[in-house]
Amino acid sequence: MPFLDYELVLCRVDKLSLAFGYVFVIMGFLGGVYGFHLKDTLQQVSALLYVGSSLGVVFAGDLFTLLVFWEIMAVSSLFLIWARRTPEARRAGFRYLIVHALGGSALMVGILWHIGETGSLIFNHFDGGIASSLILVSFALNAAVPPFNGWLPDSYPESTVTGSVFLSAFTTKVAVYALARGFSGLELLMWSGAIMAVYGVVFAFLANDGRRLLAYHIISQVGYMVCGVGIGTAVAVNGATAHAFAHILYKGLLFMGMGTVLYITGRNKLTELGGLIRSAPLVLILFMVGALSISGVPLFSGFVSKSMVIHAAELEHLGVIVLLLNLASVGTFLSIGLKLPYFTWFSTDRGLKPKRTPLGMYLGMALTAMICIAIGVYPTLLYNLLPFAVHYQPYTASHLMETMQLLIFAGLAFWLVIRKMHVEATITLDTDWVYRRPSRLTYRVFSVTLCRFLDAVEGLSLRLVHFSVKLGANPPGFLAETIRHAGHVFFSNRKPAFEPSDFSPDRYRISLGVMVLVVLLCLVILLAWDILF
Amino acid sequence: MKRVLVVTITALIIFVLLDIFLMNGQAHNGFSWSHLAGFFSLFGFLGCLALIAVAKLLGHYWLQRDEDHYDNDDDNE
Repeated sequence: MPFLDYELVLCRVDKLSLAFGYVFVIMGFLGGVYGFHLKDTLQQVSALLYVGSSLGVVFAGDLFTLLVFWEIMAVSSLFLIWARRTPEARRAGFRYLIVHALGGSALMVGILWHIGETGSLIFNHFDGGIASSLILVSFALNAAVPPFNGWLPDSYPESTVTGSVFLSAFTTKVAVYALARGFSGLELLMWSGAIMAVYGVVFAFLANDGRRLLAYHIISQVGYMVCGVGIGTAVAVNGATAHAFAHILYKGLLFMGMGTVLYITGRNKLTELGGLIRSAPLVLILFMVGALSISGVPLFSGFVSKSMVIHAAELEHLGVIVLLLNLASVGTFLSIGLKLPYFTWFSTDRGLKPKRTPLGMYLGMALTAMICIAIGVYPTLLYNLLPFAVHYQPYTASHLMETMQLLIFAGLAFWLVIRKMHVEATITLDTDWVYRRPSRLTYRVFSVTLCRFLDAVEGLSLRLVHFSVKLGANPPGFLAETIRHAGHVFFSNRKPAFEPSDFSPDRYRISLGVMVLVVLLCLVILLAWDILF
Repeated sequence: MKRVLVVTITALIIFVLLDIFLMNGQAHNGFSWSHLAGFFSLFGFLGCLALIAVAKLLGHYWLQRDEDHYDNDDDNE
């Protein structure tokens, strides 16, 4: 489609975009089922816009279309946060908006620069240079790659119960798609992905809010995908895509589970939860399907997708990456497979009286759980959708043994320290500190100081106006008054009289004698001039 | 307490034996650890403890703050 001087490709469908497209549609549907009980137009509209614009980004063939849908995505997701209608959500939403507006601006500048360099708008692999670095930064920001990760655990837990289910699925995975399309094989991404996987796990361990813990595990899991994209081989990109597919579903399920807990108890902090096993056992079972999937337990979806990324790293002989990713697996199982369910459903019984869970919530969770298990049991379902042909078999004896060893002994370690472990009612500093803590300083600089400065300028100009009015209304009177005042300041103590503010020709008429004197004076000067020169 | 230990140690022995006899030489693309029987048991166990330790230390000495840490800053709206 022609647009100005450029060629736009509004819709481009290939196997990579299609794989993401499928899972977005599935997750949009499942989220809709889960939120069926809601009577909140704001959430419904923004959720649908959000899903739609994510699909728009994934199927965009050119950078202009991508940018438009990218921004719609940011704004519609913002309203899913604000829909919670609490002061915390409002503030977190504003911070989310600022960060994403910055990211969007970086993207726009990058795109304009890119057009200037290449003259083409088509979205393909980028070749480096400043333009693609800017685009890379904005993609990395949406993928929550540290140090651009602060917005994610800051805002997602403040969203509504249904809102966070949607949020967990789209923004970061759209960014993974964009990275896979534009930057596959970039070594920087490989390392940041592997570090990100461990980073998320460490921070998740400190979180007290259940959904914040899950949000940190989005960062960790997206780390696997970013790492796969960074390795860049066909197996690795397949792995990243497969992991995104599986991750969207099980992370959605986990957010549904913790969301349900929040919905029925009104609480989401581990320090305030416990003993729900008697009142909400079914939620635990469904949650555990998601937890086992994310931990990569055999027969669940994470096992067949996560291992593809690790396998790709093994094929490239990247020993450190393999160990980092395995370490992140251990931590994931520890936090989500063991700690979160332990402190929510077991631990201290707080005698909570939860309200009834709507049927739609159960149905949404059950459908998602079914897909997670189906992919785990029959991985060909997923492998057929991947961008490259798959020659990978997850269920080998060595892989099974490796995984079981990791999980069983992580479990043993957890069991040994659990008595000493207690969650603390604290929050954790993260990179959002950069724009949160100095906010008071920023406020001072940009609001208070700026205001004072403008005040001063305004006062000065007002005085200037007064001055000119006075001068204009009665120039000779003003002159006389100024001279008289100057005389008062330097010579006499007598207070000088003020001149009338209006001009009167008679008052300031110069007498004939003075005129003659002036003329004579001029003549004398001319004469002197003539004689001397 | 005892039962869990017995089960996991039995599992460890089985894994090590399987590693030695079944996987002999054919596992994992020749990383230095692929010849160590039961490597991943150790890795899982120690990795888990290390993660907990690192997270707790980081949290206590640097990152964890009171829940109202940011509240004063947000009052400026």
